[in-house]
Amino acid sequence: MEQEQLLKQIIEEVMKSMNGNKEIDKSHTVSNTDRMDVTNYPLGEKVPERIKTPTGKLLSEITLDKVISGEIGSSDVRISPETLEMQAQVSESVNKDAFANNLRRASELIAVPDDRLLEIYNLLRPYRSTKEELYDIARELEEKYNCTVNANFVREAADVYEARGRLRKDI
Amino acid sequence: MKSKRFEVLEQRPVNQDGFVKEWTEVGLIAMDSPNDPKPSIKIENGKIVELDGKRREDFDMLDVFIADYAIKLDNAEKVMKMDSAILARKLVDINVSRKEILDLTLSMTPAKIVEVVSQMNVLEMMMSVTKMRARKIPTNQCHVTNLKDNPIQIAADAAEAAIRGFDEQETTVGIARYAPFNALGILVGAQVGRPGVLTQCAVEEATELKLGMRGLTAYAETVSVYGTEAVFMDGDDTPWSKAFLASCYASRGLKMRFTSGTGSEVQMGYSEGKSMLYLEARCLYVTKGAGVQGTQNGSVSCVGVPAGVPGGIRAILAENLIAMMLDLECASSNDQTFTHSDLRRVARTLMQLVPGTDFICSGYSATPNYDNMFAGSNWDAEDYDDWNIIQRDLKIDGGLIPVTEEEVVKVRNKAARAIQALFRELELPEITDEEVEAATYAHGSKDMPERNVVEDLKATEEMMNRGITGIDVVKALYRAGFEDVAESVFNLLKERIAGDYLHTAAIVDKDFKVISAVNYPNDYAGPQTGYQISDERWAEISNIRNAVSPEDF
Repeated sequence: MEQEQLLKQIIEEVMKSMNGNKEIDKSHTVSNTDRMDVTNYPLGEKVPERIKTPTGKLLSEITLDKVISGEIGSSDVRISPETLEMQAQVSESVNKDAFANNLRRASELIAVPDDRLLEIYNLLRPYRSTKEELYDIARELEEKYNCTVNANFVREAADVYEARGRLRKDI
Repeated sequence: MKSKRFEVLEQRPVNQDGFVKEWTEVGLIAMDSPNDPKPSIKIENGKIVELDGKRREDFDMLDVFIADYAIKLDNAEKVMKMDSAILARKLVDINVSRKEILDLTLSMTPAKIVEVVSQMNVLEMMMSVTKMRARKIPTNQCHVTNLKDNPIQIAADAAEAAIRGFDEQETTVGIARYAPFNALGILVGAQVGRPGVLTQCAVEEATELKLGMRGLTAYAETVSVYGTEAVFMDGDDTPWSKAFLASCYASRGLKMRFTSGTGSEVQMGYSEGKSMLYLEARCLYVTKGAGVQGTQNGSVSCVGVPAGVPGGIRAILAENLIAMMLDLECASSNDQTFTHSDLRRVARTLMQLVPGTDFICSGYSATPNYDNMFAGSNWDAEDYDDWNIIQRDLKIDGGLIPVTEEEVVKVRNKAARAIQALFRELELPEITDEEVEAATYAHGSKDMPERNVVEDLKATEEMMNRGITGIDVVKALYRAGFEDVAESVFNLLKERIAGDYLHTAAIVDKDFKVISAVNYPNDYAGPQTGYQISDERWAEISNIRNAVSPEDF
């Protein structure tokens, strides 16, 4: 009887993690067989072998010696989309869903170059853009950088700005 | 005849402060304005269609954002029906855990959460802060600035502040174009003092992000949000642009928090006649909805406004508590000067210092008051010993460590030499030995030699155009023989790869281990639980230099 219960529990756990898996596989590459949670945190200490830079280097390969020798540059000390997804999973395990959403938007934005990101932020400020311009940015985010969540967010902003009179008016 | 008693009283510092009577129409009311909306919520098909008495078609921009992003719908209808006094009692009750409280508070509307904290006196709020603070261990943040934007002095003050215990340090500028030098000064100085201290440079939003992207800062805080749509627009942002900005930071592996506080809407003239606390609650909901890990709140730079009205200091504590009830990191202000009275400034700070918050001050001025470019702080370098002794008197941990003159002189000198060497290696304008010497022993910028400002500003611009990054700083320090400082700056940059310090209330210790609300959640549940001062820490707090021991007699 006890064994039966244990089996049931295991199956339930597996099913649960498979369901979760589907959700993530839609837009992210992290496999869910080892979904991160609070027990893996801090990831840099507990699972360093899982952390890679966007340039494909392991966290352990990022050393001062390599910086000095020039093997490692600024592009290597950045966070990758996979790592941000893992951090989002950690946040969800401690009931911080809004923060996880922010990290997921952020993981998409890694692909957008610094200068363009700054420009887009400025264009999202009030009275800076027409509705069409914001929709164009959304399309750019979607098509050029694969930022689907952010694209929807920008379109939503455009609609709210229109309703509240916060778009740029060309006179 | 004139009363001699009143003559004396009129001369007291407190009577140089400004006070006003409540004036509801313009929002000069701390809490419980008759114009504050009554709590309500209506949910249809998983969407909020009525929020605090307003129907969806009448929502302004903030209402839309709050309704769609900031409230957990699961418990909402249940919580909204609960008696606010009973909810307030749960907050004070040590037998109701932080987690149980969050299940309720995260589903409240802004008007409801305000109604709940309005049931409490300041002692009850302090009890609640003890339990609701996100990180188990309280700590402190400082400001490191000066009138002349002198980067050598910034480096020396930052190094001293680091050995005095500040885990986060913030600089800003007198002249905006000085920002890159100030960022360099505080970065290098703090790492000389204590490896792992997080540093930021508070400037205009886009510039601040750029400095972070370059690796010249480790986190950001000057991302302001406001409680009415009109003031939000005056602040040149919308909830969407601010939320996007938050994600920009996270995409570069940088910690950040938003900033807001009671009084800002009144000060900017658009309060809609609502109470300061209600409007601040809206700011905190925007922060929550944007998915930001934390806030700097507690009136902050508008403190003069709530401090002038009845119950204003209570409202400031209440707004800190609301931030915690929304599971946000709270850097609880205690920064800008608001009074001439030493008694008042201590009383105001005890509200956060006694229970402990994630950052009790969000900035304590690590310089004399005249050098604080955030318009002066409630606590200055002159008050270091007072703070240390208050910790010792009450056996509370306010985050500071008593230090000796010898230690301070040594660390200031090393920081000044490190920034001198860095400037040389990066081909920035010369820092002379005379400046190093002055910074080593300085109290404030009046003790520093003048620099050639025109030449400095030209160099900051050129430095940004050259694309100097944190990695260049590491290499330059290493070449100059400051290998240990180079390693600390490198380790700080490395933090952004794993992103562990993006999480709620994160700080980084001297071994570059992250301490946050995730691995050190506050688990206070009454006496002898939660954060307890260790024997080692108590010895540190107790050992002030001016205490005599029995052997001395």
